[in-house]
Amino acid sequence: MAKQERYQNRVELVQGTLDMLILQTLRWGAQHGYGIGQTIRSRSGDVLQVETGSLYPALHRLEKQGWIRSGWRTSEHNQRAKYYHLTAAGKKQLASEGERWRRVSEAIASLMQPRESGGAL
Amino acid sequence: MKWLQWGRRDRELEEEIRAHLAMAARDRMNRGEPLEGAQRAARREFGNVALIQEVTRQMWGWRWLERLWQDLRYAARGMRRAPGFAAVAVASVALGIGANTAIFSLIDALMLKSLPVRDPSGLYQVSLGRDDTIESLSYRIVRAVAERKEIFSGVAGFTGWVFPVGLPGAIRNTPGALVTGDFFETLGLRPAAGRLLRSDDDERGAPPVAVISDGYWQRRFDGDPETIGRTIRIAGVGVTIVGITPRGFTGANAGAVADITMAVAMLPIIKPESAALLEPGNFWLRALARLRAGISVPQAVARLASVWPGLAERTVSPSWPPDRQREMIEARFTLKPGGTGWTYLRQIYRTPLLVLMGCTGLVLLIACANVAILLLSRATARQKEIAIRLAIGAGRPRIVRQLLTESALLSGMGAAIGLALAWVLSRALVNTISNGRFPMVFDLTPNGRVLAFATAAAIATALGFGLAPALQGASAAIRRRSRLLAALVSFQAGLSLLLLIGAGLFVRTLRNLENVDPGFQREGVLLVDLEGRRSTVPRDLVEAVARVPGVVTASISTHTPLSGSTWSDPAVPAGQPLPKRDNAIFIGAAPRFFETMQIRLLAGRDFSEHDALGAPRVAIVDEAYAQRYFSDRNPVGQHLAAMVRGKSADLEVVGVARKTLYRGLRRAPYPEIYVPYYQLPDNIPSTLEARVRGRMGQAAQAIQKEVQVKLPDSAIDVRPLSEQVEAAMTQERMLATLASGFGALALVLACIGLFGLLRYAVARRTREIGIRMALGAEKSGVIAMEMRRALRLVAAGIALGLPVVWIASRWVKSLLFGLAPTDPATMAGAVVLLVTAALGSAYVPARRASKVDPMTALREE
Repeated sequence: MAKQERYQNRVELVQGTLDMLILQTLRWGAQHGYGIGQTIRSRSGDVLQVETGSLYPALHRLEKQGWIRSGWRTSEHNQRAKYYHLTAAGKKQLASEGERWRRVSEAIASLMQPRESGGAL
Repeated sequence: MKWLQWGRRDRELEEEIRAHLAMAARDRMNRGEPLEGAQRAARREFGNVALIQEVTRQMWGWRWLERLWQDLRYAARGMRRAPGFAAVAVASVALGIGANTAIFSLIDALMLKSLPVRDPSGLYQVSLGRDDTIESLSYRIVRAVAERKEIFSGVAGFTGWVFPVGLPGAIRNTPGALVTGDFFETLGLRPAAGRLLRSDDDERGAPPVAVISDGYWQRRFDGDPETIGRTIRIAGVGVTIVGITPRGFTGANAGAVADITMAVAMLPIIKPESAALLEPGNFWLRALARLRAGISVPQAVARLASVWPGLAERTVSPSWPPDRQREMIEARFTLKPGGTGWTYLRQIYRTPLLVLMGCTGLVLLIACANVAILLLSRATARQKEIAIRLAIGAGRPRIVRQLLTESALLSGMGAAIGLALAWVLSRALVNTISNGRFPMVFDLTPNGRVLAFATAAAIATALGFGLAPALQGASAAIRRRSRLLAALVSFQAGLSLLLLIGAGLFVRTLRNLENVDPGFQREGVLLVDLEGRRSTVPRDLVEAVARVPGVVTASISTHTPLSGSTWSDPAVPAGQPLPKRDNAIFIGAAPRFFETMQIRLLAGRDFSEHDALGAPRVAIVDEAYAQRYFSDRNPVGQHLAAMVRGKSADLEVVGVARKTLYRGLRRAPYPEIYVPYYQLPDNIPSTLEARVRGRMGQAAQAIQKEVQVKLPDSAIDVRPLSEQVEAAMTQERMLATLASGFGALALVLACIGLFGLLRYAVARRTREIGIRMALGAEKSGVIAMEMRRALRLVAAGIALGLPVVWIASRWVKSLLFGLAPTDPATMAGAVVLLVTAALGSAYVPARRASKVDPMTALREE
């Protein structure tokens, strides 16, 4: 029981954020699960490491919600892989999520560093 | 469909992860890692593949269904691996659920099934009297009540009837019903063809018409549409068929089929000798009523009470004694739900069926305990498997769910087989209780209620035997498990004891009844019921039958013992006033009746040909009557003042006969008076009886031929008296047979449980036994030790069971005969049987224990 709950808890902990990061990554084009994980990792300067135990459930959940779609394609290294791409609904979701995130992070930033103003990330 | 995609989605997820691992490994190799190391690292980085798959799959929804399927497949695999265990478990459940469902289908058919009519819940049975035990009403009362349109929208009076149908010499008795004019309208039925009976059919002088059932239409007329308008001969009278009742409707009498239905007013035409039934004094119709819209039951009862005195004047027989009339006028109507129709069977079989339902409930409990024992002992064998599954990340709820799925699969399979078993068993049961000329007909096709019952039983079973082992199985406490196992075995033993004692009581009740001396010789007598008035019975009929080869003596009488109907009238020694309620049983008997029935004459003479109309009226009293009224003198020669069929008579006692059980085997002998058949008025029933020697079948055929020639307009049915006596014990026979069946079943199940437990205990304690034997314990000592363990468990069960027996015995008291519910011999017998069976089933595992090789046992650990 313990192990399964641990994963679920973590998924919940980063849920909104992870979903948003995945959608954001897919903005630049279709990508497979491994690629999404690598992109998030490298673009965050190795700060954010997405666990596969969170990534794949999140991908399948987003697909079920209709924000992303998937299809099989062959990668540049001749590896057949499942590629995900953003749907119109996903783009809308990303916009609203991004907006919400910006407001929240600005608010948090202004609380943490009251003298400075402006962005996060 | 979503779940058709499961296989594909599973494969895709696997491939997706494989691709992920391949790409991760390639990246690592590009960074210079060796192939093998890269692959291993990629896999390590990825984490628990199976678990991630599982969590991912949960995102798909429908997960529970898929997992259920997975669990079921897994459970089925497990059952295939242990076929012996699975077979015993499934068989236990099947027998338990089968027995329960069979009894329940009977209860359902007899008491719960609604008539196939419009809004059956709106029907109420009308009865009259201080208590509602008098469910019959007179024709006049039913009609008078039906006129109260401000209370009822309709009142349907009905009774079962038998119609002799066909041409002379080929008469067939056909079951049917007599109904009042509003019957079909009240029930809200529409004809399958033609029309149904209307109120104008139920008037004196209306042309004789009948409606027939759909089944009769198909059987006798091949469903020919020309049937409507055809004339059939009923008791020699041409009756026109005017319509067919809808399919599925077989009358308002549950358990009986009405193939032909006629209006009550036609009775004087088709059976003139029974015309008196229409008169006010005869209560013979049952009534179902529908309330007028907007009237509640209490309102209806109150209104009935206020109009009854007015109605009573018209409907109560003026020939009744004044205080009986007053009692009738003061009686009250009651209404109770009548949507299930009416049947006398309910009164007879209600208690036995409920007792049997209790028995089967106990059998199911034992079966549950049995499977629980099997599962628990198997859980030990599966300890390793469960530990592995826990280790690779299955949660405890997941394991519990898996184990519950297994027990659900077991009980589901058991229930399916049990339903099939119930189907067969309930039919066999109806056959055992329906003997007589018109078999009981019940629709025992499993309906929604029966299926729901079986399903509920299966679910309760699955939870009952699955939950404890499942919870226990997921943990690892062997000690607690052993204690639970022992408790279950004791519990089984206690329940089996209960059932065995019950079976013993019913079997001994039946045997006591069979050994009752009824006062007559039941074997070797054939009976023929004769239709018609006494005057229509040819005078030479008895002589003709007496000349049939094989017939020793023959006679004729108004009633036969245990036929279910008796005739009672007041009779006291001359000079005393006639009592108002305290009647004697009257039997009209022709000469040689006592010889034929082999009822001994203790004093005086038999009736003779001279005791005919016009001759002085005589009587033979029985011992019971003589003891009661002539305890101080010889009754022979004394005179009786009697009311015989409504006419006062002076009877001279010419003989004393042995007392007989005319009314029922379980009833105390009642004062009886025999009067000469040929001195009685015309409107009496007649049964011919013949004592035969040699082959009964041959004699029966010969008698049938002889009587048929003399009475071409009747259906002649020759039946043995022994059958009639048997029929008087049907209820007891059913109880005895079924209770012993269930008792035996319980015993076998409990023995299997005990066997399973001991085998498990021996397997678990191999080391201990090995040490004991290494230290010098004898084989016989080991056997004795294991047997003692079995005995302890059974003894605990008996100690628990006996007080319960004592409490439960009160409920069956009314069903017993000739012994107390706490009959010590029965109890002792049950205990001995249980202990013997337990020791027998304990011996095999005990012997296996004694065969333990100390060296192997010690080395194994």
